[in-house]
Amino acid sequence: MKGFTTRAIHGGLAGPEAHGALRTPVYDTVAYEHDTAHSLQLAFEGRKPAHVYSRITNPTVQDLEQKLRLLSGGMAVLAVSSGMAAISNTVLALAGAGANIVTSRHLFGNTISLFEKTLAPWGLEVRYVDMTDPEAVEQAVDDSTRAIYLESITNPQLEVADCSLVAQIGAGRNVPLIVDNTLMTPYLFDTAGAGVAVEVLSSTKYISGGATCLGGIIIDNGTFDWRHAPRLAERAGRIGPMAFIGSLRQEVYRDTGACLAPHNAYLQSLGLETMGLRIERSCANALCIARYLSGHAKVCSVNYPGLPESPFHATARRQFGDRFGGILTFDLADRQACFDLMDRLRIIRRATNINDNKTLILHPHSTIFAEYADEEKEAMGVRPTMLRLSAGIEDHDDILADLEEALKTP
Amino acid sequence: MQVQINGEPEELPGEELTIADLLTHRKVESPAMVMVQLNGEFVAREQYGTTRVADSDRVEFLYFMGGGAGR
Repeated sequence: MKGFTTRAIHGGLAGPEAHGALRTPVYDTVAYEHDTAHSLQLAFEGRKPAHVYSRITNPTVQDLEQKLRLLSGGMAVLAVSSGMAAISNTVLALAGAGANIVTSRHLFGNTISLFEKTLAPWGLEVRYVDMTDPEAVEQAVDDSTRAIYLESITNPQLEVADCSLVAQIGAGRNVPLIVDNTLMTPYLFDTAGAGVAVEVLSSTKYISGGATCLGGIIIDNGTFDWRHAPRLAERAGRIGPMAFIGSLRQEVYRDTGACLAPHNAYLQSLGLETMGLRIERSCANALCIARYLSGHAKVCSVNYPGLPESPFHATARRQFGDRFGGILTFDLADRQACFDLMDRLRIIRRATNINDNKTLILHPHSTIFAEYADEEKEAMGVRPTMLRLSAGIEDHDDILADLEEALKTP
Repeated sequence: MQVQINGEPEELPGEELTIADLLTHRKVESPAMVMVQLNGEFVAREQYGTTRVADSDRVEFLYFMGGGAGR
């Protein structure tokens, strides 16, 4: 099976389900019985392929994990309770007090909060750089750097760094690159091919599709030798290439209780089957909307990597091909104009989510970045005049008509 | 020959056995998911058919339940 969607539909666990069910059912159970005490011991030792407790593994969650392993070409996958759980578990497994991570000055607001407000008080140093400037990245990395972290397309700045270049810088210093690939997914961007060590995803977005449930994914691409990661070196000596996922499964993920609910895993497996189709439509709609807004007199500027005038267009094209994701931002005259436009929309929904089937709009400055001071927001590229639009999969004529009507002076 | 499998001594037929033969002989559960350690070293999956097990070797069949099978 070569095609992404064929694998999404037919991949997963090999074993037959009861009654010949064509879909792995929801195993809503906490524990699993074993016939003998010895069997339970072997399962705990990892010498028997059996589940013991759903906070560690669950058959429905495992089905999603195996599907994503096949689709991403990664070595190992761990499904978690949200995108933020994927990021926090990954960083917790690699870094700690006295160490640093090098990351982008442009990040999702909650990721900055995780680094600054949750992890920094525990002794983690966070170094912010311009990821599109290789020299700045090179200078920020030192012997105490445990990871480089960036987003394949930053949200909401829509900046695109050259991941291969950053991965090479990391590899030269034995530092793994972690990429949040939520906006592109393995369908649009093969992070392993770019030398990325770990890919994290919010499966709440494109994977779940209809915004049905929260979830997160951690993919070990198998490109990094974990013997070079100080926190994992001893484990890598014992269990080899599975050291990172093993450390999560047997410690960080297990101990923080970041498990994904089986029902959510079921919905996300279902979402995966149509993800390729939905992404194609969402990307086509985003490009269509970006072009339309670019030509509108009331729109001051449009930011979308798919537009040739974007400073990141060339990098995005080289890295992603001819699809540029479903998110764009645009600026109006002032904050009030942004609010007025949002209030006049009929089809496009006012909500804080992205990559839903529905087209969504948000004013980031007053919502997801509200906790930051104005000067901090300015440094993050979050302007009061900016709106973020996530293109859904509706018929684009209806979305353009909705925007056209809302942009008319009342 | 006698080898130690998952910590237990076991008598195996013949003198020439590969890891792949051993997986079949032992009817190992979920062979696509198992990782094999031979005398403390992981064996790459593509070498199961050519890596031989010798007398007194220590073999471990390990499973990483969830979404991983190593390489």
